[in-house]
Amino acid sequence: MLNFISLLKNEQMKLYSRFATWSMYIILAVILFAGALIVFVFDNIDEQTYNDNWKEQLAQENEELLEVNEEVEYFGFDSEIAINEYHIENDVKPLPYDAWQFTLENAGLSMIISLFTIIVAAGIISNEYRWGTIKLLLIRPISRTKILFSKFVSVLLFSITMLAFLFIISLVIGAIFFGINGWNPSLVQMGTDGVEEVSIFAEIFTQYGLNMVNLVMMATFAFMISTLFRSSAMAIGLAIFLMFTGNSIIGFVAEYDWAKYILFANTNLNQYFGSGSPVMDGMTLGFSITVLVVYFVLFLLVSWFTFTKRDIAGN
Amino acid sequence: MTASMELQDVHKSIGNKQIIKGLNFSIKRGEVFGFLGPNGAGKTTTIRMMVGLMKITSGDIKINGLSIKHNFKEAIQHVGAIVENPEMYPFMSGWNNLKHYARMIPGITDERIKEVIRLVGLEKAIHEKVGKYSLGMRQRMGIAQALLHKPSILILDEPTNGLDPAGIREIRTYIRNLAEQEQVSVIVSSHLLSEIELMCDRIGIIKNGELITVEEVQDTNTENDHVTVKLDVDDNEKVKSILQDQLELEAKIVQDRVVANLPKRIVPQLVRKLVEEDIAIYEVAVERSRLEDKFFELIGENTIA
Repeated sequence: MLNFISLLKNEQMKLYSRFATWSMYIILAVILFAGALIVFVFDNIDEQTYNDNWKEQLAQENEELLEVNEEVEYFGFDSEIAINEYHIENDVKPLPYDAWQFTLENAGLSMIISLFTIIVAAGIISNEYRWGTIKLLLIRPISRTKILFSKFVSVLLFSITMLAFLFIISLVIGAIFFGINGWNPSLVQMGTDGVEEVSIFAEIFTQYGLNMVNLVMMATFAFMISTLFRSSAMAIGLAIFLMFTGNSIIGFVAEYDWAKYILFANTNLNQYFGSGSPVMDGMTLGFSITVLVVYFVLFLLVSWFTFTKRDIAGN
Repeated sequence: MTASMELQDVHKSIGNKQIIKGLNFSIKRGEVFGFLGPNGAGKTTTIRMMVGLMKITSGDIKINGLSIKHNFKEAIQHVGAIVENPEMYPFMSGWNNLKHYARMIPGITDERIKEVIRLVGLEKAIHEKVGKYSLGMRQRMGIAQALLHKPSILILDEPTNGLDPAGIREIRTYIRNLAEQEQVSVIVSSHLLSEIELMCDRIGIIKNGELITVEEVQDTNTENDHVTVKLDVDDNEKVKSILQDQLELEAKIVQDRVVANLPKRIVPQLVRKLVEEDIAIYEVAVERSRLEDKFFELIGENTIA
């Protein structure tokens, strides 16, 4: 155990000794700042806040929405209306836009973290081959299995660190631009069984957590490709391509029953929460989790098998 | 006394091709063993099998009696190695590079790291990035990482590759010191006899995956050893007859040179004689050791890298 921690320390040292890693944090911070600036300048937040007559304001808003609803056939505002009614009935005043909501919206940025994690996962094995340091790494009294898993755990550590960074920086930048409504305000939203009031903190936690699923699966995939082909470019390319086209692929083959066994039909667990609906009939949360676990184990087994059995030959 | 390293009928096949065809030899404690052969003879493959980077197809390699196949962790603990070039992480300082390898073996203190840095003379540059180091400095870093855990066997694959003569000389001194003072067994591979001849106690010659011969390296040619002398003189025929008639030696003319085989102690006598006979001498070339002859004989043209 002690030397596993030493191995993790080594991997983190190698990771953070390079500017490329730090530039990922800088890019993320810049995107957050730019996002906050755009919301601050272009969305007139003052107009959206409600005064003492907020109940009347909401009622009027609902009337307007109803009119639109009658004109438009497919795209309704049913859930917005229901949420407004909930506010009026339960005497809950809508809170103005603040750092918490900004943070919640930024859960979507975990896509960028996925991208960065893929880059790190794709390089962590193949770079050792490229630098030639793999030879010095594997002639120590440590099994290859342990070295491989220390690298995989390092990738996960990196993504968790980055997610924590996203959360904290969002909250700080959000608080500077929009202020903050206490430590744990609640949020009224559409749930599985109609309108519900939830803790915004819990909601942020759920959203970030669900996005982690996709992130971990793609990172594990990139890790496998990188171990298999010893090429980070190939691993990055393939993983990013699949990440962006995965949903379209599902769209093409959705009519077939076997499509539900494809990884990408299952990575978005949001389909089982809130107002979401499953990609295909007959899919449940339990089913998706099983499929994900099978893929996860398979990716790691392939990595492990190639890494421990392979001869380290000359270039 | 058990051997430091013992190769037992080691075979390696890749696909259908047999690369190593049954190597059997052992290395004694405190000995410097040269592993010589042309490029592609199987030196690097053998070294990679010794340190567990490549799997052994059949046979086994024992390190201090421990099988590298079955007791990898215990066996490799006794080995320090540089395989081909001493590659380091260029974006980290020398210190962090050594710290990195030190963390992988239990019981290496910062004190020990400093000691090794002093030993290879890198104190001044140790906090600079390795990317800025010269090849010679990286070669020293390579030796430093190999010595961190006080191994009883040191394996150096082509340690003189790309070094200038001064660097080669320096490495030679290190290696001799380690073997003589610390009783470390050293295995050095090379494709050039001239570069390792002076540091080795024994040299094994490998060609096409087979060990052709293992030769003891004698310190210097003794007075009674026979050497081949090539003479560049103005009158070949006259010199030939002097050699044959007056000194009673076999002589022949090859490529406009008079060539003779004689005991080394005769050489001064021969030169004096020729001078007395008023012969103009342009060159007296004494062919080098028997080993080099043997090497050329065995390896042939292949020695050019």
